[in-house]
Amino acid sequence: MNRYELIETLVPVLKDALVVCNIGIPSQELFSICDRENHFYMLGSMGLCSSIGLGLALTTNKSVVALEGDGALLMNLGTLATIGNRAPDNLILLVIDNGSYGSTGDQATYTSEATSLAVMARGGGCQSVIECSGEDTAGVLVDALGAKQPSVIISKVVPGNRPLPVVPLHPIVLRERFKKAIQM
Amino acid sequence: MVNLSISAQLVATLKATGVDFFVSVPCKLLAGQIRLLEQDTEVCYLPVTREEEGFGLCAGASLGGHMPCILMQDSGLGNSINALKSLIQFFQLPVVMLMSYRGSPGEPVPAQVPMGLLAPELLKLMQIPTLNCHQPGDLTEIRPLVEHARVTGSPVAIFIDFQLMEGDT
Repeated sequence: MNRYELIETLVPVLKDALVVCNIGIPSQELFSICDRENHFYMLGSMGLCSSIGLGLALTTNKSVVALEGDGALLMNLGTLATIGNRAPDNLILLVIDNGSYGSTGDQATYTSEATSLAVMARGGGCQSVIECSGEDTAGVLVDALGAKQPSVIISKVVPGNRPLPVVPLHPIVLRERFKKAIQM
Repeated sequence: MVNLSISAQLVATLKATGVDFFVSVPCKLLAGQIRLLEQDTEVCYLPVTREEEGFGLCAGASLGGHMPCILMQDSGLGNSINALKSLIQFFQLPVVMLMSYRGSPGEPVPAQVPMGLLAPELLKLMQIPTLNCHQPGDLTEIRPLVEHARVTGSPVAIFIDFQLMEGDT
């Protein structure tokens, strides 16, 4: 299973959550599979998906799913300490870990070698950390959404990207429709 | 507010303008404000590990309908340029940057000076409205600046320097 096939299985589960999606091809794939007003496509600022998700989770009662990538998370590892100590119950950090910088030509990330994001998350203080296959991820996410605690899910998939255009939404349009989805 | 410390005046002024979400990367010039925020139950406050991460949290809080503020050293501006440009300014999100003006007169650490000299020019280049708080009377300018951030959907910066914070308890 690759990222696109994983996102296809996640979309029904993400219907009622606020979704912050990693920059680049992950956002393009989510947008292509199912565009909804509760999706915030990052468009820029690689590495900050989990931080935007944490800021949002601290200021809303709705479930927030930060759909992050392994390469982007490696850019902002301090976030695992902040989340490990301060995340509210409504935050889920779901890392799609394909061991690859997919948007830039599939260069390998260190998670394809010795690095374990699950171990790093536990080391950061995160209590509920589950590493699972792409096939099992939707079920794990359902459980995490029902749990009264913050969760980190590391979903292991294989590299691979769909050739898709850039998300064609203007940032202000995207911001306003997402803010409306938060209030609904 | 004349009997309050400068730190207490800064926190009270920001709260009075509607700022209700604070993150910080520490500085000795920010220590008094951080101590107050740690004990403040009326606002959300948390430390972050790096300024760029802090801007991510501020973006999320702004989307969530809150008015965010990041406490940081001016040197942290260098860590944050992409986050400011491709997130905060790209989505037009209001954020207050309460920045210690390290590298300005009174600075004991020479390595702080290069970024301190650059920071005002950098803010200007990035089109971030900036207020220099050099004496207590300057704090009256904070309210219109925060209102400007809200109206324009822009980050704004407040510099607090060594002279302002001298004798702060």
